[in-house]
Order: sequence, then C-alpha cells, then structure tokens
Amino acid sequence: MNDMAQQDACISAKMLNLSVPATRASLKFQVNGVEYQHNPQATETLAQFLRDTLGLTGAKLGCGEGECGACTVLLDNQPVNSCLMLAYQAEGRQITTIEGLIKADGTLSPLQQAFVDHGAIQCGYCTPGMVMAGEGLLRKNPDPSDADIRQALAGNICRCTGFLNIIKAVKSAASTATAVAPE
Amino acid sequence: MVQAAKASNLQELSVLVKGFSGKVSFIAGGTDLIIALQQGARPDLIIDISSMDDLNFIEIDAEEVCIAAATPLSKLAQHRGLAAKLPLLTQAAMQVGSVQIRNRATIGGNIASAVPGGDLLPALKCLGCRIEILRRDNTVTSHDFDEVVTGLGKTCLGNGDMITTIRIPLRFGRNRISAFGKIGRRRELTIARLNLAVLADYETDANRINDIRIVAGAIGPVPLRLRLVEKRLRGRNVNQAFVDDFLHSLIAAVDAAISGRASQAYKRIAIMGLGLDLMQNLFEKEFSCPEKPKALT
Repeated sequence: MNDMAQQDACISAKMLNLSVPATRASLKFQVNGVEYQHNPQATETLAQFLRDTLGLTGAKLGCGEGECGACTVLLDNQPVNSCLMLAYQAEGRQITTIEGLIKADGTLSPLQQAFVDHGAIQCGYCTPGMVMAGEGLLRKNPDPSDADIRQALAGNICRCTGFLNIIKAVKSAASTATAVAPE
Repeated sequence: MVQAAKASNLQELSVLVKGFSGKVSFIAGGTDLIIALQQGARPDLIIDISSMDDLNFIEIDAEEVCIAAATPLSKLAQHRGLAAKLPLLTQAAMQVGSVQIRNRATIGGNIASAVPGGDLLPALKCLGCRIEILRRDNTVTSHDFDEVVTGLGKTCLGNGDMITTIRIPLRFGRNRISAFGKIGRRRELTIARLNLAVLADYETDANRINDIRIVAGAIGPVPLRLRLVEKRLRGRNVNQAFVDDFLHSLIAAVDAAISGRASQAYKRIAIMGLGLDLMQNLFEKEFSCPEKPKALT
C-alpha cells in the first residue's frame, strides 16, 4: 500500500449507504472469476488493490499515469489502465488480470503461448500489459488487421524487444481466438 | 480524510452533493483525477459517477446530438450514428490517448479538466455545443463552450457542480463538411501539441465555401476560434490560392496567439502541415504546400 492510500480514511459506510447495503462491511470484487471482499481506502487504485492486497503482481506499475500500459487489465473484457481507476469503482465488475488467463490445467492461454513462441518477451516488464491489451482486442475482434493490432497496442510501451514480434504473436493467436461479447 | 461514495443515478447524486459541505470531486474515467490525487489533491469526498446509466448515452434526433457527460470516448469513437452525423467529433474522440484511456475517459471529463491539449475541446467549440451543468443547488444551467472552459484547467464549475449533458446542433448550412487533425510527439497516445478543427458549408457544384468555422487547440490556454482566418476564406472558391491563403493566415494566427513563446518557432511551421492535411481531407483533393516561412529571427 503506498503513502497516498495510507493517509486516507476508509470509505465510510454512511457515505456508501446510497449504493451499498449498510449490512455489508466491505465491497465485493470479481477478479479472475473469484469473489473477494475488501474495504478499499478512498484513493486506493485498482492496481494497488490487485498487487498489494490480492498479491496479483502480474499487472505492473510503470508510469502511474496511463502512458505505459504495464498495468493493463480487463474490466468487463475491455482493457483499462488499472493505475487510473480507483479500486472501489471496480466493485461488481469483472476484472481479469494476466493470472486469470492461464488455463485450469496450468497451461498458458493461446495468446500467452504465442508470445513465447514468437520471442515477444525480453525483460518481461511490459509483457502482462501487452498480453492483456492483445487479449482485450481478440475478445472483441478475433480477426484483427495489422492496423487494428497496432492501434490496440498503442497504449503499451516496450523498451526492449521492439514491437514487431509482439504484433506477430497477437496476429498468430488471432487465428485461434473467438469473440466474447462485452458485458 | 478523503471519503468515497458512489451514485447510481442523478437523483442519488444530487442528494449526496446537497448534503455534503466539503470539497467534492467527481470521478468517471479518473484519467485526470487520479493523477491529481497522486500530486497531492485532497477532496473531502470523491463520488464515482462511472456506473450511472443516466450519464452514459448518445441520442440523435433531427436537430441535435445529445451526449451524456460520463459517456466514455470509446463509445463516441465507435458510435455509427455519431460518425454519420458528426464525423468531426468521432475523429477527435478516436485520437484521444490509447484504447485503455478511451475505455475510461469521458466527454464531460475532457471538458471539466480543460487541459489545453484536450482533443475534444476544439471539436466541441467548433461544433457550437451547449453544455448543461447540474448545480449544487439542484438547478440546471446551460452554457456556450466559452462560458464553461475559461482558462488553463479553469472552468465555471463551482464545488459540487457537474456537467451532465453536451448538446450539439446539427444545422450548419446545406452541405456541411468537417475535418479534425492533431500533431503530437508520436502518433498514438500523445497530448496534442497542436490540434485543429474545421467545419464548413461547402457548395460542391460552385466549388465555394459559404461558411467556415476554424478552431485551434494548444496554442493558448483555451481553444481559439480563428475568426480572421474564417473571414478571409468565406465566400471563396476552393483552389491552391485558397489553400495558400489559409495556411499563411494560420501562421499569422499562431504568431498572434503565442508570440515570443519558445514553441512559436515550431508551431508556426507545424501548423502549415496540419492545415494542409486538413484541407486535403476536407476537399478530398491534393494541394501543394507553399514555401515554408522564413525562420523567426
């Protein structure tokens, strides 16, 4: 938990009475299909909640201002920067992180495997964000053009591999993807 | 101590705001507010308005387009009706940030933040939008763009006031055409260094501009309507001389707006390229770029 959230009081139940039944001490979050209860502090970001409280450290904190995309997760199947969203805004929404892509038998998702196969990873810091941005694209558009892929990844910065292998990885995974309607 | 609350409709929101005496911040996309929080901003209460259905819609009738303030830019960029009626706004929305930013950032937030590079701002001003504000005392007021965005990060919004609706009239001459362009340091995800919105009434058969509105962003604290440029172009036939005159008067407008600023030398040249692109998009014709102006001494 960083300093910003520590200085702030917890959300007062009274303030939340309008939208949350008073009997509920904490809010419910759906992360990777699992329900968690948590009472976030007012200024706690979704990235902080995922990383510090749930220990889901796949989403990285890079710039903290929506430039680098390393913190990308899916909110109801749409890519968002988890550093630019307050945790309590995610109440009742479906959050998917990189940890949620892995299959039940422990094998990688087609897109994750494509990143490995195409050498689309070097230092790995941007990778979870890149994969989630690519996953968001493929759930909406299973047959994207190169231009679609470039546009979908424009909010993610990689400073070591260059982008070509990443684009190739998304392209190859596209052939196996099927669309998911946004919720 | 910062408190947080969530409103699920406008009625709840007004009860919440009215009953609270401290400083209120609204959060929709959060793409500006969270950065302000990181920099030390401390409202007393943050109200989440991102899941309010009555603040997230686009309605189009014969007279106007009505957009609710917390409608995300991705919805604007993907809305087919909007693209058909107001391509200027669609183009501006598509050029904001990244997919991640557009999925969260909202039209009302873009106005309320009043940043000079805000991509929707020149487009909204050019389109002559009216902005409705729900005041803390529960009254609704309606304003022109210039009354709302008054300076760098400054608006007419008081504590607890919230933009609810943006209304954009559809009438502008018989044959309206428009274009939006932007220059930043890289193509995607960049704060505009310069942006330009043009709306024109163009008589195709006579190849004549009956009316034109031009608004430039990021050459001042608020989007600037280039009335002198408009005046030079109104009633003219569209040809290379027209384009030359347009581009030269853009340079004069930049010189007048940011005279002596470090960015003037770059922006007065850059706006020619941006203006040329816009003219080519607007009339779907190739034009050549006149000779670059001499460097400032």
